[in-house]
Amino acid sequence: MGLDRRGFVKIVVGGVAGTLFTPVIWQSLDDVSIWSQNWGWIPSLNKGEVKAKAALSKLCPAGCAVKVNTVGGLPFAVTGNAANPMSKGGVCPLCAGGAQLMYSPARVKAPMKKVGEGKYEEIKWEDAEALLVEKLTPLKGQDGKIAAISGDETGTANEVLSAMLAGLGNTGFYVMPGEMFTATKGVKLMGGSGQPGFDIEGADLVLMIGADALDSWGTTVANQKAFAATRPTGGAVSAQYIYAGPVLNNTASVCDKWLAVPPTATATFSLALANALIEAGAVSSAADFGDYKALAAKAAAAFEAATGLKADALKELAAKIKAAKAPLVVAGASFGQGAGALDFVAAASLNVLLGRVGQQGGMTLLGNGAKAIASAADRDAAKDAASFLASVATGKATPGALLIYEANPAFALPQATEMAKAMGNIAFKVSFSTYMDETAALADLILPAPHPFERHDDALNPYGVAKATYLAGKPVVAKPVHDCKDPVDVLLAAASKLGLSLGFDTYADVIKAKASALGADYSALTAGGAWTGEAKGGPLTLGAAALAKAAPVALADKTVALAPVTRLAYGTASLATPPANTLTVRNTELLGKDLFVQMNAATAKKLGVAEGNKVKLSAAGSELKALVHVNEGVAADTAAVLLGFGRSAWDEYTKGKGDNVYKILTVSDEAGTGLKVWAGSTVTVAKV
Amino acid sequence: MKTQFSVAKFDQKLQERWGEVMEEKKQCKGCGGALPFVIGFVAAVIAGWVLFPDLIYSKKTQPIRFSHKVHQEQGMECSSCHSFRDDGSYAGLPNNEKCMECHADVVGSDPAEAAYVEQYAKTGKEVPWLIYQSQPDNVYFSHKAHESFECKSCHLDVASTDTPPVYYENRLSGYSKQTMKMWQCERCHAENGVSNACHVCHK
Repeated sequence: MGLDRRGFVKIVVGGVAGTLFTPVIWQSLDDVSIWSQNWGWIPSLNKGEVKAKAALSKLCPAGCAVKVNTVGGLPFAVTGNAANPMSKGGVCPLCAGGAQLMYSPARVKAPMKKVGEGKYEEIKWEDAEALLVEKLTPLKGQDGKIAAISGDETGTANEVLSAMLAGLGNTGFYVMPGEMFTATKGVKLMGGSGQPGFDIEGADLVLMIGADALDSWGTTVANQKAFAATRPTGGAVSAQYIYAGPVLNNTASVCDKWLAVPPTATATFSLALANALIEAGAVSSAADFGDYKALAAKAAAAFEAATGLKADALKELAAKIKAAKAPLVVAGASFGQGAGALDFVAAASLNVLLGRVGQQGGMTLLGNGAKAIASAADRDAAKDAASFLASVATGKATPGALLIYEANPAFALPQATEMAKAMGNIAFKVSFSTYMDETAALADLILPAPHPFERHDDALNPYGVAKATYLAGKPVVAKPVHDCKDPVDVLLAAASKLGLSLGFDTYADVIKAKASALGADYSALTAGGAWTGEAKGGPLTLGAAALAKAAPVALADKTVALAPVTRLAYGTASLATPPANTLTVRNTELLGKDLFVQMNAATAKKLGVAEGNKVKLSAAGSELKALVHVNEGVAADTAAVLLGFGRSAWDEYTKGKGDNVYKILTVSDEAGTGLKVWAGSTVTVAKV
Repeated sequence: MKTQFSVAKFDQKLQERWGEVMEEKKQCKGCGGALPFVIGFVAAVIAGWVLFPDLIYSKKTQPIRFSHKVHQEQGMECSSCHSFRDDGSYAGLPNNEKCMECHADVVGSDPAEAAYVEQYAKTGKEVPWLIYQSQPDNVYFSHKAHESFECKSCHLDVASTDTPPVYYENRLSGYSKQTMKMWQCERCHAENGVSNACHVCHK
């Protein structure tokens, strides 16, 4: 008996029928339905205990005391730390995305050495550190040959950098320009010393001249908390907030009053207000009151032409200030830098005139604070990086090596293109950076720095605080996501190999010593607490001698004042817009790859441009292309453009989008102070 | 050269083929019937119930031969290692931190313990234990809500084992053989009067 075709078919049919009575088909169908859940490229959750760990996030300039939520040891979300007196549970829009920024594609993943134009190769840490020592060794002992730029205003890392340079016979320690720098110089011009502070929380009328205090100026989260506390839900408003600045920004939009003051007229506005206050009876015992009064009267005469506002607006404001029990004037530049010391002096002098220095809800003065390293430079002796790179460009300064710590001068200095070119004159540039920014892309050696949640760090007196304040943080994660080393640890090791002992082996030890020197409890700080000292005042003049030298800015035909606008959510000088925050950029700010320049209808008419026109803004030999958006929230004769766009490095979310306003900021020497200033930059606007 | 179609020739071929088919049918009578069908049916049933389960699962062993028996003999309770956290979440398997409370260094003579200390405790690497009951990420399972049940109602009874049971991994889905399916969850919920609404398990 053989198996013919018919018999075979019967077996197959029987087999199929039999299979129906087994789990083969039914289980396979069930398995297939969940098969896709385990495809290799589908991310899976990290399992483990959920914890909230205290951390210091320095992604924003002020630094936020936050709680980092972790699961199985890995961060996944950031919230404010309610126990911290600074943030009181709040968090800024940059630090809120801190967990995601740990995994940013823009992070520097390992030490890299330049091997050609725009080409890098990964090297081992021991080779990178050996190269650093090798390049610094022949420059040791030659002043001016080793320089360092720090983008961190508050960290004790600056003490290590300046002490290291001093130990190597160099004095070239510079900081990126910020409000703190010019304000400290301004206090000196007023006969005082130290960093100014502003007790916003204790004031019942806060006049912010230029300072975008509820979005990007100073300790924004603390400022916002203070603002919110005066406006309890269902309760009476207990303090007035007034903003005088060029743009109806996030601060102005929630204030009780916005006064549209062009960036070129900040000092005139302040002095004209002083005149209105003097006319309303304000007097000061300061020795220079007579001269100051004359300057104020002169400014009042120029007020309407300079600002485009009516003089009645000043009288109304002066009356409100006089009626307030604890008025405070907060002085600053609308985009956090570049204002001259004289703009600061003009605004801060109002606090002196009103007798508000050292008072509850007034202006205070903070000292340098105790140092961890005795040989480090004093904080108020800082020199600015813009002046330094300008000297490098002209050949006046000829450093052989430049250490760049958490700074991005190639992007975030005025006339950025020129600054980037100047860096080309320096033979060996080392960038200590967490992210592949524009400066790292020009460096000869890139040393990856840990993300804030992966490192020890601290912050003394973030700009704006009313009393001495110190915060410290330690790593939240067991080890960095990438092959990083703390820059300070690297510098301390390099110093040691160069025969210089700074007394510490690690940054953690430096911070502990700093806490001890200040009288703070390190453990309490790293658990999320804050150390605070006393609020102090000090004798200040009205700064009349310095203000007398201020030169008014005259606008030529077809020229308008340039108001760079900062929105903290869109990033800072050293941090590009976080990917999640790109969703908050409006289509009247950036459309596709085109940036917008905003101006009011009168300015647009004067310039002969209209909504949607493509225009070219020119200044300082550079130009910026943008689309016009007519917006009545911009002061007269002013063009407002957002900062933070036009990145040439970073990641796919930010690279090549918009243009960089820093390119067209014009640097000038401030009369009487010699400081480089650019807050009063002007531009010509032409259709393309 | 074109071939002409002829109806007569086609009819003749058809007749011849019909004859062949009828001849085959006559020859098959008596040797076919239902037998081949039965053979196929039985073979498929046997293969489906006996061979298929072996083929669909690959066998894996735990990275370290962990003995529950030894630990129980030391007087340890289940909750000594498998405990609830302060927030009510379940710790599941202990991590290195917990294991190293006793095994930071080798304390016994079992080579499995030495392997653990060498490969994991000293390197800081967590043991990649194979989880018999691992649920997908889209399932929210609260051990606290199921606390009144015996562990072995759902889990393998490993309390007195000296060697961990073999881990069967489904070659197709990647899940463990013991991973509870949704119908099992639903049936138990229904039997106990608990809601089977989607959001109960899928947050």
